[in-house]
Amino acid sequence: MNKGYRLVAVLGICAALSFSGCGQDNGGDTAAESAAQTPGAAATPDITAEVQEHYRTKISLPPEVWEALEKGQMTQEEVDAKAAAGEFPKFFQFSTPDQIPADLNWQDGSDLPAFASPDAKQGGTYYTWIQDFPRTFRRFGPDANGSFRPFILDDVVMQLGRRHPNDTSITETGFRYYPGIAKEWALDKENATVYVRIDPEARYSDGEPITADDMMFMFFLYQSPHIQAPWYNNWYNRKYSNIIKYDDLTFSIKQPEVRPDLLFKVMELEPLPEHFYKELGPDYPERYQWRFVPTSGAYEVRPENLKKGQSITLTRVKDWWADDKKFWRNRYNFERVHFTVIRDVPKAFEAFRKGELDRFGASLPEYWYEKMPDSSEEVQKGYIHKDVFYNDKPRPTYGLWINQSKPLLDNRDIRIGIQHATNWDYVIEKYFRGDYQRMRTNSDGYGEFTHPTLRAREFSVDKALEHFAKAGFTERGPDGILQNEAGERLSFTVNTGYQNLRDVLTILAEESAKAGVEFRLEILDGTASWKKTQEKKHDIAFAAFAVSAEMYPRYWDFGHSVNAYDRAFLPDGSPNPDRKIKPQTNNLQLLAYPELDAMIEAYRASSDAEEMKQLAFRMEEFLYEDASFVPGFIIPFYRDLHWRWFRYPEGFNVKLSRNVDQFFLAWIDTGMKKETREAKKSGETFPPMITVHDQYRTE
Amino acid sequence: MRLNPLTARKLRRFREIRRGYYSFVLLVSLTVLSLFAELLINDKPLVVSYEGVLIFPTYGAVRLGGEFGLEGILANIPVNYRDLQRKFREEGGGNFVIMPIVPYNPYENSEVDGVIRSTSPNIERQHYLGTDTTGRDILARLFYGFRTAILFSIAFTALTYLIGIALGCMMGYFGGIFDLLFQRIIEIWSNIPFLYMVIIVFSVIPATFSIPTRITILLVIMVLFSWTFMTYYMRTETYREKARDYALAARVLGASTPRIIFRHILPNTISTVVTFIPFTVVAAITAITALDFLGWGLPPPTPSIGELLKQGTANLTTAPWIVTSAFVALVLILTLVTFIGEAIREAFDPKKFTIYR
Repeated sequence: MNKGYRLVAVLGICAALSFSGCGQDNGGDTAAESAAQTPGAAATPDITAEVQEHYRTKISLPPEVWEALEKGQMTQEEVDAKAAAGEFPKFFQFSTPDQIPADLNWQDGSDLPAFASPDAKQGGTYYTWIQDFPRTFRRFGPDANGSFRPFILDDVVMQLGRRHPNDTSITETGFRYYPGIAKEWALDKENATVYVRIDPEARYSDGEPITADDMMFMFFLYQSPHIQAPWYNNWYNRKYSNIIKYDDLTFSIKQPEVRPDLLFKVMELEPLPEHFYKELGPDYPERYQWRFVPTSGAYEVRPENLKKGQSITLTRVKDWWADDKKFWRNRYNFERVHFTVIRDVPKAFEAFRKGELDRFGASLPEYWYEKMPDSSEEVQKGYIHKDVFYNDKPRPTYGLWINQSKPLLDNRDIRIGIQHATNWDYVIEKYFRGDYQRMRTNSDGYGEFTHPTLRAREFSVDKALEHFAKAGFTERGPDGILQNEAGERLSFTVNTGYQNLRDVLTILAEESAKAGVEFRLEILDGTASWKKTQEKKHDIAFAAFAVSAEMYPRYWDFGHSVNAYDRAFLPDGSPNPDRKIKPQTNNLQLLAYPELDAMIEAYRASSDAEEMKQLAFRMEEFLYEDASFVPGFIIPFYRDLHWRWFRYPEGFNVKLSRNVDQFFLAWIDTGMKKETREAKKSGETFPPMITVHDQYRTE
Repeated sequence: MRLNPLTARKLRRFREIRRGYYSFVLLVSLTVLSLFAELLINDKPLVVSYEGVLIFPTYGAVRLGGEFGLEGILANIPVNYRDLQRKFREEGGGNFVIMPIVPYNPYENSEVDGVIRSTSPNIERQHYLGTDTTGRDILARLFYGFRTAILFSIAFTALTYLIGIALGCMMGYFGGIFDLLFQRIIEIWSNIPFLYMVIIVFSVIPATFSIPTRITILLVIMVLFSWTFMTYYMRTETYREKARDYALAARVLGASTPRIIFRHILPNTISTVVTFIPFTVVAAITAITALDFLGWGLPPPTPSIGELLKQGTANLTTAPWIVTSAFVALVLILTLVTFIGEAIREAFDPKKFTIYR
């Protein structure tokens, strides 16, 4: 399972970045090598004993205990005492196949249609680019959440199952899944348990079979402090209550609460190779920095295919075990995927134009309209094709996050004024040329879970002035910025880490000045800005969360008071005067309302999708009234420029795809590549191809 | 004021060197003009005549549309004088607006055909050098950027010389332990790469500081890491002059140390100082442009030549006018300063017919 929410690194064209080095694709070799390097010195660490001890002793705390701990109603000592008394069940359990309930309804997704193109050709090298060399090959831990991660983890590994990218309907059991590592699975909804049988053919890229032990080990690893990844520690401790192994290939996973997305939380797990992580220890980040994790997927990184700081090549796993599986056939068609590190986007574009790169993402209008307009020679001669693809998935939340713990911003009238003083429509119309759309709420794109009628407030100087006046800001100063009687100026800092989108803020600031509010811009590098925002030191942050294709939006992360303050309220429900701001959470607006907390808790506890929908709508309305998030824009499509030999299936891509590379459906036609190269020399032309694929367009 | 005949002769010679002299005149006039940039390049008009009253908004407060009889939404927002001018013209009547030569400020994004993008030079729209990628007038940004750069470099030169001369003279004059100690300190100090220091310091300065504050901080950092070179020259010069008879005579007469340094020794070393000035200015302009180009200089959206160069290189094929304008402007400024520098050097050279090559 991926970390659900990540900061959106960059917009569109360069959604990918960072990683590096020389991987080891074989755990055994590595062990032998490091042993050879240190003769007589400390022996290679071995985690086996620790794993066994963990399996034996690990207990699972019920949600109410977690909550009590969090709210300070219970201490760790009390919990430990209860655990010693055996009050809590074991997390890791072992059983036998005859204990599997007989009446389970096993599914294997075989009724779903395949979505790859039967025309796809295998082979060839796909030349593409990344902006930074990755900083590690590790999948988790420090620096692992870089932009190269999709190519070694998210988009490449198989997981137990994957959500069908075209059939997005929600059934009795939740999303529709097609099999990955799992051969079949069954949901016992009453007991919040999912049973899974692993495909006996499943292998890691080093040839080792994938078993239920790897699944158990995955929980050990993610619960381990060695990996230095608190998000994983928290998620895998709290979202699951046990794993039971029945035989080498069969296991079940239980969750603490019955939710509509039980299947989602299990199917998107990825077993981890126990044999590879044998040397785990406190030095995990360094020891595993440049080792490539044996993968269930089609691509691996071999040490000889790396030039540190310059390029990386993914190579197709030889005789990949899933080659002929229904949903994996005709995908991952390239024999090799070659990434060149190009730090400048304009330079990458020039490399594409020369034919050194096969394709170039052109969601930014600058590239689509100015640098490669429809009229350009390459397009008109049919060498380069242009495609627009409308996808339909939860949208990254580009907007202004107002910190309501700051002076002035704690006044709702001022926040509403800011809503009316922010001219997103102008930016969308004039700068993005009407291609993008105004975001409505911060959970757009969740289908039935998205509020049907709510719209963001429009730009209106009169309304903004009216609300600012209510807050006492009536007079314009000499620079046109409003002031109150005390002489305070209506001025706020807007910080962002999106260097690419700095022009957007420049335009917004020019427009907001018309309504008498000043936005001072602070354009930082991505990490610095995100850090500031996570520490809640921002006035207003321009940021976005990348959202994975989950069933329903999250509110706890963004809206619950425990993520805003330590002890937000006194026992009688009034705000705690001594409360401290809680850093490193996603409640960027510092929302803390008992009534919102109540709705969020009801929403979290609900197992009924309909009830959750109603709650979601009520929460959206509440957040609208609160007015501390100014919805920005959504990009309802992605655009691609590609040489004509880079081929796509009919219809271009799948509904849920976030970019071209995600599902690996494209292929290289080597014959056409030769033909095009020769045609360029001889001046022969082909029909120009500019296509809009709007079959999944929603509005 | 009575000039020392030697100084007068030097000035006369400077004037005789045509190339340097005219460069000097040109640069000084540009600098003086840039001080009044608001009157030349601005979205605020020079004069508005509304219902018989003359208004001069250039340096005044923002005025809302309502003051000029605009209605609806326009009444409550700062007035757009270009639109107002058009409106007054269409209405006829006695009202009029006189706009500056370039009627745009360096921050506003003007759209063309409903889209904000870079447009080529256009006299009709009064974008004489075109607009940059967000539709801001390039001439306006260049001119305001030039003003910042030249004022910055003058301040930079003055400060580095102040520190450099004072310390250099003291080292040369006192000698001994003081000299030894400071020389070592300077050696260590000057080995710190200043560009990296600027980058590091600027990455931790919060943007909540106002733009003038940030420019001042940048100036201070640059001065801190640049004053050292001047001390070397001043130290040797002072060493030499100190041993001359006139310095000894002054001492015998009972003159105080500051008096000897500033009244006697300094005027005799001034030629060294003066000949370096233009090159320091060049270095300062180059440095601030380079920093802006790298994105570590002045905070956005401050207009600057480096920022324009950066935009230009990213849009070489689609908007060549950006890079052309910025490049020509930069080369022009640097050439002017260099010509002046050469002329000064020649003028201060005691041997009239030496030619520097």
